[in-house]
Amino acid sequence: MSATCRHALPEFTMKNIRTASDRALLLAFILGVGATLLLILVPVLDAIRLSLHHAESFISPQTWVGLANYQRILSDPIFWHALRVGVFFATMAIAGQVLLGIVFALLLDQPFPGRPFVRGITVLPYLLPTVVVTVIFQWLLDGSLGLFTVWAEQAGLGRPAWFENPYSAMFILIVVSVWTWTPFVTVCFLAALQTVPKSLYEAARVDGAGAWMRFWHITIPMLAPMLTVTVLLRSIWMFNKFDVVWLLTKGGPLSATEHLPVLAYRRAFSQFDVGGGATVATLSFLILTVLIFVYFHYFPLEEKGATT
Amino acid sequence: MHRSPNARVALLGGVALMCLWSFFPIYWMIVSSLRPERDLFSTPTLLPASIDTGFKAYRTLLELTDYPLQFLNSLMVAGAVVVITLLVSVVIAYVVTRYRIPGKTIIVGSMLYAYMFPPLLLAIPLLSIFASIGLADSLWSVVAAHCTLTIPLGVWLLWGFFKVMPLDLEEAAMVDGCTRAGAFFRVVLPLSLPGIVTVAIFAFLLSWTDYIFAFVLVSSDSQKTLPVGLASILGTFDARWGELMAGATLIALPLLVLFTFLSRYFIQGLAAGAMKG
Repeated sequence: MSATCRHALPEFTMKNIRTASDRALLLAFILGVGATLLLILVPVLDAIRLSLHHAESFISPQTWVGLANYQRILSDPIFWHALRVGVFFATMAIAGQVLLGIVFALLLDQPFPGRPFVRGITVLPYLLPTVVVTVIFQWLLDGSLGLFTVWAEQAGLGRPAWFENPYSAMFILIVVSVWTWTPFVTVCFLAALQTVPKSLYEAARVDGAGAWMRFWHITIPMLAPMLTVTVLLRSIWMFNKFDVVWLLTKGGPLSATEHLPVLAYRRAFSQFDVGGGATVATLSFLILTVLIFVYFHYFPLEEKGATT
Repeated sequence: MHRSPNARVALLGGVALMCLWSFFPIYWMIVSSLRPERDLFSTPTLLPASIDTGFKAYRTLLELTDYPLQFLNSLMVAGAVVVITLLVSVVIAYVVTRYRIPGKTIIVGSMLYAYMFPPLLLAIPLLSIFASIGLADSLWSVVAAHCTLTIPLGVWLLWGFFKVMPLDLEEAAMVDGCTRAGAFFRVVLPLSLPGIVTVAIFAFLLSWTDYIFAFVLVSSDSQKTLPVGLASILGTFDARWGELMAGATLIALPLLVLFTFLSRYFIQGLAAGAMKG
């Protein structure tokens, strides 16, 4: 459709830029693209450059050390520990978000009174700034007055020091991430659910398929492409989530929740090792780039439709 | 559809649990900000025993901290980000869909690639760049940093919008004597208003909620945005939970109001993967 239109409008091609407004528009375009790519490419290239240098701070002199930072970081068990922590955190958080998101979407797809209102409520956690979310949960888990602490005490569990136990600290990070980012999955799934033709369900019902069979053999296969996009996007973003971890645990207790972004930040800002921090960041870029290429492989740009 | 009474009870029970899960922490934030101070230090009750009609927590926050200034900072940063994002991304998306640009897939692709970058990985090198050009610790550095998120997002969303808009309409306008600019302002812009509103909302949202860029790029109190300001109150005042919850409510309030009136655009944008996070 659009291809034929373009042939009908020869003045829309590069070769026939005649008017001054065409030129001004193209100039604005080139400036815009240039500035944006500069703002993004320069930091990336600068991180790679820094990773090949030794520097104690952003303003101190930098000395070229080649790949020494990489050698040092890759042979450091702390790096591998942080990678494992990050993979565990991201996997658990994504699994929780996807499972809960599917359940919520299925519930919200059923007719019940007040549905539009309930749909609005389930999106709210996603709109809150991460800082607000973490402050609320820190208050709920406050060591002496927090509601959950008081409940645990009343249940005879004593006063749990939530953030001092490595397991409960990780558990809290996962629950808070699931709480905040489930709505993303819910909204995507709900949108996809509404595209499944109702006749498929009717036909299956006539053939005697139960609710579970219909879910497993119609809903899941129909939603599989959406599921893949969602899991990929969630992985790309969860794997490098910094703020929620930093604000809740700062990687503690004793680096039990320290993943790659926190490690990069610590190296660069509190351990006077900007080169090492940049190296960790560059290695994260690499892992991320692999994920993004997988995404583009499955969802090529040209097939991206309208924003529905 | 007919349901057995049991299925109906199960559905409504599920819905109730879902609402509780989604809304309880928000409820707790608002209620805690309205409780008189003495209530905060006694055993918490689910329903507030009394409401502080003097709004003492809010007053303390606004009178004794930099919160009002930081509120203005956040507003200015978000406003500048929205304006810059709209100008730049409308131009890029329009040109990419209306002209034959060599390598346009690469341009849009690299925008999308950039959009997926985690903020922290960009923030650390950005700080060293801003430091070297003397822009460090300023609101402009935060604006520029936020644009690295919002412009790729805007281009991506508007690309989808402009692409499906029939060119015939513009062609007709131009045959009837409109200039390209006229056709753009009279045909394209009004028709793509929903997309433009969505981009504006999400640019505002990303900028308003950002913690990482502002945290890394800004260090002086007078240049902080609200999220960083709130986080630093948590660090200094110990257990001033009433004030903290008041602060959290004040950050969340504009978003909740926006959402109430513009939820259609929010949902549309979310489903398009607009929100990074």
